[in-house]
Amino acid sequence: MSMFTRKMRMLTAVVMESDRDSVVKALLEKGVMEFVHIGSLPDEKMSKLSSHSSSVPKAALTDMRVRVETLLKEGGIQLPELDSSIIDSLPALDMDSYKRTLDKLSLSLQSVRDKQREINQDSNALSEIIRYNAEKKDEYLDLRVGENTHGSAEDLLNRLEQIGGIFIFSSRPYISLTLRRDSQRVTEVMDKFSWTESTDSEAQKTAMGIAIKAAQERTESYRTDLEKLSVDVKERIRNVSPELLTIWKTVRLHELCEHVESFFSYTRNTTLFSGWVPSEFSDDITSLIGKVTSGRCIIEWTEADEVPRDEVPVEMSSPRILRPFERMVNNYSTPEYGSINPTPFTAVAYLCMFALMFADLGQGVILLLVGLAGSWMYKKHPEKKDGIISRYLCSLLIFLGPASMVGGLLFGSCFGFELIPPLWFPYDAVVEGEPVQGLIQDIYDILGITIKFGIVIIYAGLILNWINLTRKRRYFELIFDKNGLVGGVMYALGIWFAWGFVASGYKTFPSAPFFAPVLIVCLALIVIKGPLGAVINARNGHRESIGRVIIDTVMDFLVEVLEIFSGLLSNTLSFMRVAGLGIAHASLMSAFYQMADMPGNGIAKIAIMILGNVLVIVLEGLSAGIQSLRLNYYEFFTKYFTGHGVAFEPVGLRSRTRAD
Amino acid sequence: MSRVSDYAFVNAKLRARIGIMHDSTLFDEMIKAPSLTEAVAKLEGSHHANLLEVYRNTGDLQQLELQMLDDEISLYREIEGYLPSLPSSFISVLLEKIEVDNVKNVIRLWYSDVVRQHIISYRSAYLYKKQIVHEIDYDKAVNAVSFPEFVHAFKGTPYEAVLDAFSMERLASEGLFPLEIALDHLWFSHLEKGIEKLGGIDRKIASQIYNTDVDLKNILMLTRYSYSYHLAYEELERVMIPMGYIYKEAEKTGALKSDDPMSVLSAIVRHHYPQISEEIQRIRRTADDLTTVEENNREIVLIEAYLGERRKHEYKKILVGDPFSIGVVLAYFFLCLQEDSTIRAILSGKYYGRSEMKIREGLGL
Repeated sequence: MSMFTRKMRMLTAVVMESDRDSVVKALLEKGVMEFVHIGSLPDEKMSKLSSHSSSVPKAALTDMRVRVETLLKEGGIQLPELDSSIIDSLPALDMDSYKRTLDKLSLSLQSVRDKQREINQDSNALSEIIRYNAEKKDEYLDLRVGENTHGSAEDLLNRLEQIGGIFIFSSRPYISLTLRRDSQRVTEVMDKFSWTESTDSEAQKTAMGIAIKAAQERTESYRTDLEKLSVDVKERIRNVSPELLTIWKTVRLHELCEHVESFFSYTRNTTLFSGWVPSEFSDDITSLIGKVTSGRCIIEWTEADEVPRDEVPVEMSSPRILRPFERMVNNYSTPEYGSINPTPFTAVAYLCMFALMFADLGQGVILLLVGLAGSWMYKKHPEKKDGIISRYLCSLLIFLGPASMVGGLLFGSCFGFELIPPLWFPYDAVVEGEPVQGLIQDIYDILGITIKFGIVIIYAGLILNWINLTRKRRYFELIFDKNGLVGGVMYALGIWFAWGFVASGYKTFPSAPFFAPVLIVCLALIVIKGPLGAVINARNGHRESIGRVIIDTVMDFLVEVLEIFSGLLSNTLSFMRVAGLGIAHASLMSAFYQMADMPGNGIAKIAIMILGNVLVIVLEGLSAGIQSLRLNYYEFFTKYFTGHGVAFEPVGLRSRTRAD
Repeated sequence: MSRVSDYAFVNAKLRARIGIMHDSTLFDEMIKAPSLTEAVAKLEGSHHANLLEVYRNTGDLQQLELQMLDDEISLYREIEGYLPSLPSSFISVLLEKIEVDNVKNVIRLWYSDVVRQHIISYRSAYLYKKQIVHEIDYDKAVNAVSFPEFVHAFKGTPYEAVLDAFSMERLASEGLFPLEIALDHLWFSHLEKGIEKLGGIDRKIASQIYNTDVDLKNILMLTRYSYSYHLAYEELERVMIPMGYIYKEAEKTGALKSDDPMSVLSAIVRHHYPQISEEIQRIRRTADDLTTVEENNREIVLIEAYLGERRKHEYKKILVGDPFSIGVVLAYFFLCLQEDSTIRAILSGKYYGRSEMKIREGLGL
């Protein structure tokens, strides 16, 4: 792991046109290069280069891939990973054949869906009859019990079935149950067959029950058929899945090749390309290209320092274990190239904050168990969609659980009980106002701890910023900026001043011989920042009028001083929320503890404590997680994280980069 | 309660939802899908994924559309629950529009059965039969064998009076169009009253949105009819929605009763919406051949698409306006319904085997 973003180098290579395919395949297999368009050549030379032209447009390949993916998903088939074997045996593209295969499958699936639709409609028609009967709305039904005295019963049945309803013609008298709105049509048909109503009162009485039972059996059978057809769709896709997977792999690989080659430029016999590679892979790439071209290549490496910083892609080289925190950083922004990798600092700060706000050994164990169980479950069922407790949350809980446990051990809290002796001080007892020995005796002391913690975090941010600025050689900002040395010194003065005031019991302000001179020097530096900046700009050819410089200086001075004092003060006080949430956590547990004692019943006590713990874990855990994130984003990141970077996106066989 | 406390929650919630609404990629992929099955499968992972389940279980597009309607009604109800009483009752008026459309569906079904003598069989299963706003006995309506019996299913609802004004004979001779127009007009009158009941900025925003909306609908109506018919006062009075700036001005100036109402109305449109008027003229000028019905239809589609874009623009304007007003709610509904109608149009196009180009043309893309 590097403390800074990964060092990058830019490759520019010229290979023979005949070696192009081999180079593309080798680079895809390696998967460590982000291709860029060659843009640094003079226009007259660029005009001699022709850009890539393909036999199958990239958009067509993407459409085909997406279509195959849709069908595979419909069949519940996971997409495969591309591996090097596909490169060695790369089949030629046959888009027409793929289209025919997919069209055939699609047609076959549509025919199943059409069958489903027909069955569903039949089922719907019968369901209406069943529902009317169940809701005692028999007035909408038309029940007839009797038999035909003319024509065949089979013909009569066929004609009636065209109208819709339930007809039992297996034994006499026949039963016809239709909707009343179809009565006229039923009568017309029955009249043609000289239908005579049965006079058997028993048969008339039981007919409705028999018909409804038959209708229910029929709808049940429809439901089974629908389910079978639903499975049949998946089966049909699975039957051709080897073919589909081959198509997908071929199309995907060609799509990736097209994507890579779209960055290439050509002369008559050579191919030029360029791209960024992490510097530790530069030797590998050099030898790889040399090997596949048998040395017929020209390779040139450009160091990242020779290119404008904002054009260099950024990759953070954090250990795999810190991935949840890297995601937090990426959600904020991509750091600038060459700056400090914020991930490890974020991890430490986030976990400390969480541990202070949610300190409980038992609840920490629960969080850890939930994280482990969730991760195990998602690993076992990779196709499972993220629920409320997502994959990401599970991976984070694996860290938050132990952090909370450490907090619990420090403050002697386990499920809200003081079951274990605290390693530091009894948080719950302090919050409840019990007499406590040691340095921490009341809530104000707890607030004091979090303010000190905040000062450490803010200073850590400032120091990281100074390191970043030094690496970027931005010395002007390093000295004069509000997050630079001037800001840091003024913040130190403020802390010293506030400390003295508090130490005197809020009675007197502290005094020291260094205070006034240092403050004056700092203010003077802020004043000269504007004019000095104007002089530097003028040297670089951006001359400004004196009037404007004076106005800017006055305004900048006022704003900068205000920002340093009020901004850093509010940033520091903002950390009191850490104490606030910790106190709320202890108070809530104490409240549940008291509530549990009220019923005077052991089982009720346990139930209330379990419920209380669940509520506290869910609500407080969420609050502590959000507040920790907020403190990182607004109080810590704002000090050193510029976020002007562009993420590094190498193209390889396993990359999820959409080639469009 | 202040406007901020009334709307803070709903504003934040809806804006977050608007932020994750589908971009055009989903629709584009659905249009490109070669079959209905593949088009529906694209809904996987979207917030319409429940529709995919319905289709997978039934293969029935109409069943899917019924689910969409159910989702829409649930959406209105959900938002209604987040709002204080006045705006909440206005949402109820908006929900009535869905009910009016549902009532029209019942009427069409009943008409098909009783007047046209078609077997409706399973089709009644696609009717939304739960209560939307008013208590309507849909079972009674769909099983009615006479018009009075049909009207009785709507007893105690505002639709009873509208239906009472018609008879079986009139419907048989004139078709359903006049009845449907009358139901629409009823809703617009409710809408106007609903807007009046709103307070302050909400009333201003709702009034502006719906008056403009009605104007765009009236312009479309005039565009459609101006080709084929020379409408007399009575017809114009019947087809035009009696709301909006154009209608109000036409009424005030007596334009509808003039000798050439269409040209007077065109002048009013030009005055209120010069850009729209110009664009319609441009489309007409650039149309290849105005003599064929097909070309006329194509032109109407283009104008419809333009007016649709204008509506979209109007709603988007609201989103950048006052966040603590009913505006964001109305804009959200508009965007949701637009998304739903796009999905409906694409799926229906796929069902009928329309080409990609035809579907895009229909959607104005």
